[in-house]
Amino acid sequence: MTAPGGGALATRGGATVRRMKWSLELSLGNSSRSRGDRQSKDGDVMYPVGYSDKPVPDTSVQEADRNLVEKRCWDVALGPLKQIPMNLFIMYMSGNTISIFPIMMVCMMAWRPIQALMSMSATFKLLESSSQQWLQGLVYLIGNLLGSALAVYKCQSMGLLPTHSSDWLAFIEPPQRLEIMGGGMVM
Amino acid sequence: MAWLVVRLAISMSLLYTASAVFEDQVGKFDWRQQFIGKVRFALFDTHSQASKKLLLATDKNVFASLNSRTGDLFWRHVDKTGPEGHIDALLMYGQDAVVVVGNGRLLRSWETTVGGLKWETVLDTGSFQAAALVGVQDFVKYVAVLKKSAISLHDLSSGSEIWVENLPDSDSVQYQTIYSGGNGLVLVLGVVPNSHIVIVEYKIEDGEIMNKKSVEAAWMSSLESSCAVVSSGILLCVDQITQSLYTLPLQSAEQTEMRQIHLQTLDLEVVSGFRPVLTSTQPNPAQPPLSEFFLQLSPDHHILLQFKDGLIAPLRDFNPAYLAAFATSGERTVAAVMSPKNDTACSINLFSADTGRRHLDTTIIYHMDPNGGKPNRLYVHAFLKKDDSVGYRVMVQTEDLALTFLQQPGRVVWMREEALADVVTMEMVDLPFTGTQAELEGEFGKKAAIQDGLLPMVLKRLSSQFILLQAWLAHLWKLFYDARKPRSSVKNEVTIDVLSRDEFNLQKMMLMVTASGKLFGIDSKSGTILWKQYLENIQPNSVFKLIVQRTTAHFPHPPQCTLLIKNKDTGLGSLYVFNPIFGKKSQISVPALPRPILQTLLLPVIDQDYAKVLLLIDDQYKVTAFPSTKNVLQQLQDTASSIFFYLVDSSQGKLSGFRLRKDLSTELIWEVVIPTEVQKIVAVKGKRANEHVHSQGRVMGDRSVLYKYLNPNLLAVITESTDTHQERSFVGIILIDGVTGRIVHEAVQRKARGPVHFVHSENWVVYVYWNSKFRRNEFSVLELFEGAELYNSTVFSSLDRPHPPQVLQQSYIFPAPINTLEATLTEKGITSRHLLVGLPSGNILSLPKLFLDPRRPEMVSEQSREENLIPYAPEMPIREEWFINYNQTVSRVRGIYTAPSGLESTCLVVAYGLDIYQSRVFPSKQFDVLKDDYDYILISSVLFGLFFATMISKRLAEVKLLNRAWR
Repeated sequence: MTAPGGGALATRGGATVRRMKWSLELSLGNSSRSRGDRQSKDGDVMYPVGYSDKPVPDTSVQEADRNLVEKRCWDVALGPLKQIPMNLFIMYMSGNTISIFPIMMVCMMAWRPIQALMSMSATFKLLESSSQQWLQGLVYLIGNLLGSALAVYKCQSMGLLPTHSSDWLAFIEPPQRLEIMGGGMVM
Repeated sequence: MAWLVVRLAISMSLLYTASAVFEDQVGKFDWRQQFIGKVRFALFDTHSQASKKLLLATDKNVFASLNSRTGDLFWRHVDKTGPEGHIDALLMYGQDAVVVVGNGRLLRSWETTVGGLKWETVLDTGSFQAAALVGVQDFVKYVAVLKKSAISLHDLSSGSEIWVENLPDSDSVQYQTIYSGGNGLVLVLGVVPNSHIVIVEYKIEDGEIMNKKSVEAAWMSSLESSCAVVSSGILLCVDQITQSLYTLPLQSAEQTEMRQIHLQTLDLEVVSGFRPVLTSTQPNPAQPPLSEFFLQLSPDHHILLQFKDGLIAPLRDFNPAYLAAFATSGERTVAAVMSPKNDTACSINLFSADTGRRHLDTTIIYHMDPNGGKPNRLYVHAFLKKDDSVGYRVMVQTEDLALTFLQQPGRVVWMREEALADVVTMEMVDLPFTGTQAELEGEFGKKAAIQDGLLPMVLKRLSSQFILLQAWLAHLWKLFYDARKPRSSVKNEVTIDVLSRDEFNLQKMMLMVTASGKLFGIDSKSGTILWKQYLENIQPNSVFKLIVQRTTAHFPHPPQCTLLIKNKDTGLGSLYVFNPIFGKKSQISVPALPRPILQTLLLPVIDQDYAKVLLLIDDQYKVTAFPSTKNVLQQLQDTASSIFFYLVDSSQGKLSGFRLRKDLSTELIWEVVIPTEVQKIVAVKGKRANEHVHSQGRVMGDRSVLYKYLNPNLLAVITESTDTHQERSFVGIILIDGVTGRIVHEAVQRKARGPVHFVHSENWVVYVYWNSKFRRNEFSVLELFEGAELYNSTVFSSLDRPHPPQVLQQSYIFPAPINTLEATLTEKGITSRHLLVGLPSGNILSLPKLFLDPRRPEMVSEQSREENLIPYAPEMPIREEWFINYNQTVSRVRGIYTAPSGLESTCLVVAYGLDIYQSRVFPSKQFDVLKDDYDYILISSVLFGLFFATMISKRLAEVKLLNRAWR
């Protein structure tokens, strides 16, 4: 909560002279300003606008990092496949009963590959620097597809997929009758 | 362990289905009206001035006491139906009412204040003739009962038999009446038709025959209808052939033949073909009758006569006069005479009995209901006013069995519609929209609207909106106006004008057809009779069929109902077309029906006025269409080949099917004969036309589907064996296709007999019979399934069904006899079904169909549990909380009518018998309605609270963000 303090300072400072709510002071003459104080603490030298006193890293690609990049890209591509054993274990543990936790897990399992597939282009950009970009992309795709297939299988074993005729029973229209019939006991 | 599981499953399923009315729901959406039937005897309790009791005995074997100020029942005793409970006579003395029941089987004395039985005596066998109170020395102590061959005298206070004597020559003489004048003798009068009268005198103390004589009377055929005792024991008879009155002193020894007095000498004449009636009065059984009497010479001609010193003198001539009756209060006897005033009203006047002088200011104006019948009985209650003048009230019974209680100067105190004790058939019709709703409907509904052009359309729209605004303002004003009044007085009267459909269509118009030929329109919400219409000249054993041809859905066409009345004797039928909402007879021309009508068939075909077409089949199998406009005939010609009908002739054991030809004649296409020597057809039922089935199949445990066999043309025929021996009797059920005549299924229940009650709906038939081997009632359910695949899912044709259905059957023990059976019905058929069982106790049991499921397994398996099937248990439970009418029992329930409402969860139920009970049932609970105790305040306060909390926190968050930006 420094802003109200600053405001208080400003009003205190401007008790006699009406000041703006804020103003940019490029000269360093006024030492009563808090911002000026902080700058003056850093050093007495005045830097031009846009000057940074931290060193800028060297961005030129080193030949030795190539392998590292390649490895990193393979990590990305194999990520979904590595998930599968874990998912299988979760699936086994959660069982086939329909309750809130298994449903949540199934949703997570289904949603993650779908999300990954939707952001395929972003992943490709990530893999751009690799020489085996297409292979990695394919592996990534297969991994995600396998993940979603696993989710579908789980849904199937939980009975959430409308694969039985009973799931479509409510949509069957009553058949139209062709004959009109009536009558009864002789009155 | 398995048994434990089974029990647990049952109790769980019960938990699911159990539902009952809460205490605060009593009377909220249900009502009951109690009736007694056609009055045969009515007596006013006259022994105290302030008494409000009116004792009635009716042809429905009901003995009841009414409050004469309000018309409500004090108490009511419903006896057995049929001749066993028939009330032969009602006598009253002081606080006691003596009733002879069951053709002289029982003699009962009732305490009239609370309706408790004082004593009951079983009488000797013999057909009942007459009963009379016998007094000795101004005090009534005995009651005498005359049977065909014996007379017995009973003590009035204990019912003990004083003596019983055989009548002399009882095989040749028909003893018909008793007379006692308080002189220690009981006289029994008998007649040998067209020969002579026999008079036997018995001594009261020991039954000794004091005297016996016979008097020539060759003209006499019956004593009862033409004779009366007047004055001090003078037998007075009238004969229309000789146009004479005959007198005979009963106890004089010298006169051995009747004295003839020609009516001509009194300037009187009996209208030819009318049987004259004598009415005398004996105010006190211990005293001789009065010497004044009424003689009715024609339906509207009465004359008050006096017998004095062997001469008959006319006191006053009442011409015209419909009805006349005597009444006594204290020492004074008066005569009330009803005479026509104008076309719509009658006036009742009081006359002094001994002089025939009219009492001043005693006129009661009785307004005849233009839609009702003529008055045919008059009961008078006379009382002494403070100034010692005689005041009186009258109860008038009309031909249409309406009881009207009137007091001076013509105020109707109460009215009862006793015709409703015998409802034959009923229907429920939706109410119309209100005027404003109809106005909007009319704007868009009219065909002419398109041709009107733009400007008139805009004007019409503006005007209808203005009317809506007006109605809304009026509604607001009414709310405001009512809010100021105390709550009790707001109870607004239901009239035809304010009737309109409610938002869920829960309020409907009940159309009831009664055996007496009176139609009623009753508001289903309150039970108020909104209109009534008496149809004259209806034979007592007529058959009625009520058909709704046009519902209220086709504004501006009025709804239309047709009642087919068939005279059993001549076989001829007639149609009565009316508007079910207002009860008015429709102006539509009705086809003449010169030939006896065998059956009717309501087609889904509609004419240009949206009325469904009714086909009437006569005894030559020719068809008459109603309405029969050109349009209809054209449509009939187009669809004739697909119109079929079936006729069941139970006397010949023949079921036959016909197809309509284009020229409205028919051809026989199938015939099934069930030999009448072995079994007879008791009943046949198709499915209800307005029934919807939502689900086409049942989901199995393995998630496959078992499709229902939903044949709309299926008929269930119930047969009973002609052999009634308990070892050989059987009940059969035949499921037959009404179009092709193919027998789909046949089942026989051996060692069983009727009466069979059954319901045929969806793909199942439930029937109840008596198992004569185990002596218990049993339910049996048949369910038909098509199998795992539908043969044709788009159209159903009976002519193309190559595969027979799978039939499952199961039976259960039902621990009570039943009177009637019906199934609930809902709008879309999504709600589960319940069976409504009318029990003889008057309760209506709502039995879940879940219990009557032939797929209930004997062993519980994983799959059956998945399907929610209750394990099979032979006994069917009856739970008190399943009684939909808690303690509002319906006496002699004869039928239950169910109708869907606008809410899928709700089914309207009307049970009728002697009483009428209306209620709503919710077979799957009220899943589409918020509960009554839904906490609106809590929910809305939480909602508003959250809303404001969100607003405030949003504002706070904004401030905080801004401040952070300043940091």
